[in-house]
Amino acid sequence: MIGRFSIRGVALSVAAPLLAIVFALTVTSLVLLATGNAPLGAFSTMLAQLEKPRIQVNILNSATTYYLSAIAVAIGFRMKLFNIGVDGQYRLAAMLAAAVGGAIALPPVFHVATIILVAMFVGALWAGIAAVLKVTRGISEVISTIMLNFIATGIVAYLLAPGRLAVEITGSNNIGTKVIPESGRVPGLPIIPGTPNLVFGMIIMAIIVGVGYWFVINRTRFGFDLRATGASETAAVASGVNVKKMIIVTMLLSGAVAGLVGMPQLLGDSYTYGLDFPTGLGFTGIAIALLGRNNPIGIAFGALLWSFLDNTSNSLEFDNVPKQTVLIMQGVIVLSVVIAYELVRRYRIRMVASDVGRQLDAELVTTAAQGGSA
Amino acid sequence: MKRGSVHAIVGENGAGKSTLMKILYGMYRPDSGEIFIDGEPITLSSPAVAIELGIGMVHQHFQLADNFTVLENVVLGSEPTKGGRLDFALARQRIGDLGRQYGLEVDPDALVEDLGVGDRQRVEILKVLYRGATTIILDEPTAVLVPQEVDELFGALLELKQQGLSIIFISHKLDEVRRVADDITVIRRGTTVATVKPADVNSRQLAELMVGSELPTPETRESTVTDVDVLVVKGLTLHDSVGRDLLTDISLAVHSGEVVGIAGVEGNGQAELVEAIMGMRTPTAGEIHLGSDDITTWSTRQRREAGVAYIPEDRTRHGLLQDSPLWENRMLGHQTQPPNARGILLDRKGAKADTQRIVDEFDVRTPSIDVLASALSGGNQQKLIVGREMSGDPRLLIASHPTRGVDVGAQSDIWDHLRAARAAGLAVLLISADLDELIGLSDAIVVMLRGELVATADPATVTPEQLGSAMTGAGGAGA
Repeated sequence: MIGRFSIRGVALSVAAPLLAIVFALTVTSLVLLATGNAPLGAFSTMLAQLEKPRIQVNILNSATTYYLSAIAVAIGFRMKLFNIGVDGQYRLAAMLAAAVGGAIALPPVFHVATIILVAMFVGALWAGIAAVLKVTRGISEVISTIMLNFIATGIVAYLLAPGRLAVEITGSNNIGTKVIPESGRVPGLPIIPGTPNLVFGMIIMAIIVGVGYWFVINRTRFGFDLRATGASETAAVASGVNVKKMIIVTMLLSGAVAGLVGMPQLLGDSYTYGLDFPTGLGFTGIAIALLGRNNPIGIAFGALLWSFLDNTSNSLEFDNVPKQTVLIMQGVIVLSVVIAYELVRRYRIRMVASDVGRQLDAELVTTAAQGGSA
Repeated sequence: MKRGSVHAIVGENGAGKSTLMKILYGMYRPDSGEIFIDGEPITLSSPAVAIELGIGMVHQHFQLADNFTVLENVVLGSEPTKGGRLDFALARQRIGDLGRQYGLEVDPDALVEDLGVGDRQRVEILKVLYRGATTIILDEPTAVLVPQEVDELFGALLELKQQGLSIIFISHKLDEVRRVADDITVIRRGTTVATVKPADVNSRQLAELMVGSELPTPETRESTVTDVDVLVVKGLTLHDSVGRDLLTDISLAVHSGEVVGIAGVEGNGQAELVEAIMGMRTPTAGEIHLGSDDITTWSTRQRREAGVAYIPEDRTRHGLLQDSPLWENRMLGHQTQPPNARGILLDRKGAKADTQRIVDEFDVRTPSIDVLASALSGGNQQKLIVGREMSGDPRLLIASHPTRGVDVGAQSDIWDHLRAARAAGLAVLLISADLDELIGLSDAIVVMLRGELVATADPATVTPEQLGSAMTGAGGAGA
């Protein structure tokens, strides 16, 4: 019986994302047809890109960043806390960490560790503001984190000016924080042959964060409290969970991981926080957390898929297909994933309920028969 | 069933009453079999279809928007419109007509949050009548009502019946069923056992049909009360957000081996008292002691770890995580203690093994401990909660309506467990709306009215009627 449950459970959990992707492909095909393009051509152009080692490296690198962002979001989601502010948290964290990294001189490992700790600290602090507002004044974290994003943008713009934290970057008209010296960089990994491009060393950090997330959520008392609060706040309170404390700790954790989002780029590629530092990663993280259903493995797949779409969209231009088609595809995927999971969830609850009923009936028939013969 | 009659359906928890009703209301599809209305076979594919066919359902848990008026609640989902705008005048008139016709008058402009339970139920019935229901399903309508409200409800049902409506009445309370029903169908384990006339059976026979065995009584045998104070509450006062008294100067003591029952009409502060003792509300004044410790400022978790067990009033909101498997629900409330945790880590193996023990000992009917809590019937959920709270040798048990919505068989099991624990020295604070249960199990009874303890009664001598009048403030109960 248990075996049957879990086989069906696995089938069901695979069914939802498959359903969503098929649906998203269908909708995108319709969009492509409507704009006079051949869907199959476009899809195969994108898939063909996968063979290029340079694209493979890019996909892994973007996915690393997306993964960290999605985990930051997922930590809150598991408790029904919506940290929409990952975006502001990582930008502020990356900028300040970059400034610190460029300003100090430390031996190699310590230098990197310091930069990462500063980033986590700043991210946590920024998220913590929203947590304190929620706990003390009852302000929805959705609103406050969105507003804090704008404030973060303002602060970054203010500090990132010559004479404050920024210097002119030689050979461009960009400005950025002082370049982090060699000792504060994370070397790339030459794991994809056939290209001089390297995979971010921080991919290892992303994997550690993923495993840590899984472990804390599923195997610790803290994780149980967090999940219980997300599943039913009233039941959690009755079970002795201090919800206010949980909100604070969870937001701090989410913010600390958000602080890591800019690190692969900063420590593995740009070594400075300039005007061209990537933005909007926090929102990508929300989409991917939804896509991966807050599951560390699911998020990994979601991040890779997202990254694949992003990094191959340019190739569509060869076929004269607007690369923005990919945005439509991403949007539709997220929407259909949310809907497909809800459908599957309801179906699963119904199946289990009727299974329980059927099994009990069967049991009763046997006991009745035994009772009769005794 | 016939038009213009009241047909009662009785059965144990998990016997299939709710499932049957959900099929009738179009929420589930049957695997086989047919349903007829006026001789026509019909397919009930959704609640919308059921409503169209004149079937209306009044759920056990009211489905009303508290911050809407009665009028708004009644029309919600089938709002009358005139030129795209809401036409409340028409609705108001229809509600007035319906109310007069069936004796269900409620002020259409009152806010639902200001209404009592009985009035809320009337609004629910009005809601289904407003949608043109000719067959009304009432799921455990009396569970939340006091005796006087039950009488009023039955008056209204009689009126509806005389007007030619059909009523399907689901209940555990057999006396009530016999009072109000024209026909009674007993179902057990998913099949019809018998259909009887109320005049032909007494409650005991009916109950025996239901469980297929003999009836339990909630009597405790010899006293096991000791003079060891376990719970002592002194001068407990609790204000709401605007400073009104929810609890006023409550003092009570529960000793080891003693069951202290709290009688009272629901909403007179029992829930608040329980939450204050559990640390879920901070009292304005007063002290709470557990054994030799002053626990007034302790957190809920500290209290639980110190051996306070808690069977909450509302198992769906406070007792369980519906979408989590049973073994995770076993941890809930005890997630910091063995066998569920080792240090800061969860002990999944220990929790699973202990869940299996509870399932076996407390006869929780489930195919596996991995199913979600929502898949279990109410009675089995309750047995799981009782089993969980009895685990780990608690010193004090706060039991809020421990057998509410639970069938006779499970009820007697739960009583047995409570008695056994009491004999072993457990102190129990029992809150129950079931006066027989309260009198049968308690060693002492206090009556609560408007947030105060107004009387005490000796369960050996007091009758349910005396308690009932003390609860409504009509007279003392022999204090």
